[in-house]
Amino acid sequence: MENKHLVKDIVHALDIDGGSTERRPVHTVGVGATGFFKPSPMAQRFCVAEHFLPKAAKKGVRVDIRFSNGMGVVEEHDGWSDVRGMAVRFYLENGQSTDLVSMTLPVFFAPTPETFLDFALNARPKPCQRATPWQKIKSYLQLQLPLPDPYPGQTERPNEGAIAFASKHVWAQPAVIDASSIGAPVSYVRATYHAVHTFIVTGKDGQRRWVRFSWAPIAGVLNTDPKKPPEDRYLKKDLEKRLSHGRTERFSLMMQIGEAGDDFNDSTRQWPPHRTRVMMGTLTLNKVREDQQEYFEKLSFNPWHLTDGIDPSDDPVLRIRKDVYAFSSNRRQGTPCPFSGTKG
Amino acid sequence: MSDDSGWLNSYINSLPERGWFQFLSKYVVVPFWVWREGRPKLPGGPRPSPQPSDNTQRMMNLLMPLKDTSPIGRAKAVMALAQNVDEIFAGLDNVGTVHSARFLLVEDYICMISVYDGDFSNYIRDFISTIGSVFDALMHEVEGGDKLYPSEENVEAFIDWVREHDLFQAPDYPFDLFGLQDEQAGRKPNDPPHDLQTLPRSLILQLHANRNISLGGGYRGYPGYSAAQIRRNLGVGW
Repeated sequence: MENKHLVKDIVHALDIDGGSTERRPVHTVGVGATGFFKPSPMAQRFCVAEHFLPKAAKKGVRVDIRFSNGMGVVEEHDGWSDVRGMAVRFYLENGQSTDLVSMTLPVFFAPTPETFLDFALNARPKPCQRATPWQKIKSYLQLQLPLPDPYPGQTERPNEGAIAFASKHVWAQPAVIDASSIGAPVSYVRATYHAVHTFIVTGKDGQRRWVRFSWAPIAGVLNTDPKKPPEDRYLKKDLEKRLSHGRTERFSLMMQIGEAGDDFNDSTRQWPPHRTRVMMGTLTLNKVREDQQEYFEKLSFNPWHLTDGIDPSDDPVLRIRKDVYAFSSNRRQGTPCPFSGTKG
Repeated sequence: MSDDSGWLNSYINSLPERGWFQFLSKYVVVPFWVWREGRPKLPGGPRPSPQPSDNTQRMMNLLMPLKDTSPIGRAKAVMALAQNVDEIFAGLDNVGTVHSARFLLVEDYICMISVYDGDFSNYIRDFISTIGSVFDALMHEVEGGDKLYPSEENVEAFIDWVREHDLFQAPDYPFDLFGLQDEQAGRKPNDPPHDLQTLPRSLILQLHANRNISLGGGYRGYPGYSAAQIRRNLGVGW
């Protein structure tokens, strides 16, 4: 493990009231589904990992997918504005597997583990500060938007701390801007998810490319109406309904190719949207398993769990996530991930 | 949707949608902030970049104000283009870096919307050399156009004029507006960092300075490829 104390500090910084050390410290509430992935015909040109090869297209690669709400609390608040997660495990031949861990935020909050710890400590939920009428009028007169009122029943939130911190740290601004207006999807399958970090893929011709992955929902992106009262529990039911009676939902796996001059090791910044983009394959979801605890809540994903043909970049946040995920997995006694040597 | 903390809170939350408050904002609040910390106009067109895909499929949104906005003046502008269709198509074929180009008549502007590869200045130079006659005809119908006539003898002035009338392209990611405004004002970008809550004001003041803008650099279905690469790979040559 790279820095045992830093890993532990990060996990503890993410622990908040309403969470549980027996659950994930963030993305605590979720639902899992099964499905399969089929690569596009051109995928192997860019990446020779097993799940992108033509033979994978014949019957598809079996996958487990866990969708989640970003908050680290065990209560469900599906309708609150929040980042969502989508972790995918691809089951390869010979008992091997690989993960792709993504979220609805296109950027990460900090460029290094140390700065992330700083951010996490400053953005810990604090009692909601409801703006008074005069404070709101003052904001309007300053051509600013007041912070939204708390949701019914919401007593704490990270907004105030995150915005104050980002106002002093430029690197946190893109993520905080996006997170503060991200809203709630009408369904887990109606959001775009980004793997955020840069990975290095090796193509059929041996060429290595620095890339970023995103899942684009074929059903399209759609959020709930923020003016209507938020529902606390609808996302799991929605997924069960969508995948009942043999119905399926799909995502396209898009891969953006970085260029010389792009920062491959800083996940706080998006690359320009006009980088070359390749459609790498299609993920089909077909079933919500009944035993969620065994198959998804104990399952330990890890963004460092890669396979031949895909390598990690030198992004230091990606590197420490390997140990943070392993630590968290051990602490909640999850099914060990490949890096679970760390004791929680 | 927030928790219910009474009618006063609800009323205050609805202020931005209320006519009287919009009137107050338009005629008092915004002018006050423009006076106090107005933003300089940001230049048009894509920003310079050494990176390959930043130099393919660049967007031009050229708004040329009509000299005569009456139906007769508008018809003259239309005729200036309609009588030169062959020149336009032959020129675009020979420039070779153009993905698409079209002219629009919108309100009091004749607009040229195009997608091209490479450097902005050279794109305009190519135009002058290939379809300068079309622009010469058009310039007679456009405010400030007479002094650019003939375009082939006023190349640099013509380029500056086009840049001036090409829409500012707002950054693809909102946070980047702060940095662009800093640079335009001669400051080091984001040093010190800006208060995030001032972003709406920064946007409003920029929209006062740049009334018409392009919302980001645009979506591309096949980003990163030049017109030449597409033609070659599709086997349609030149």
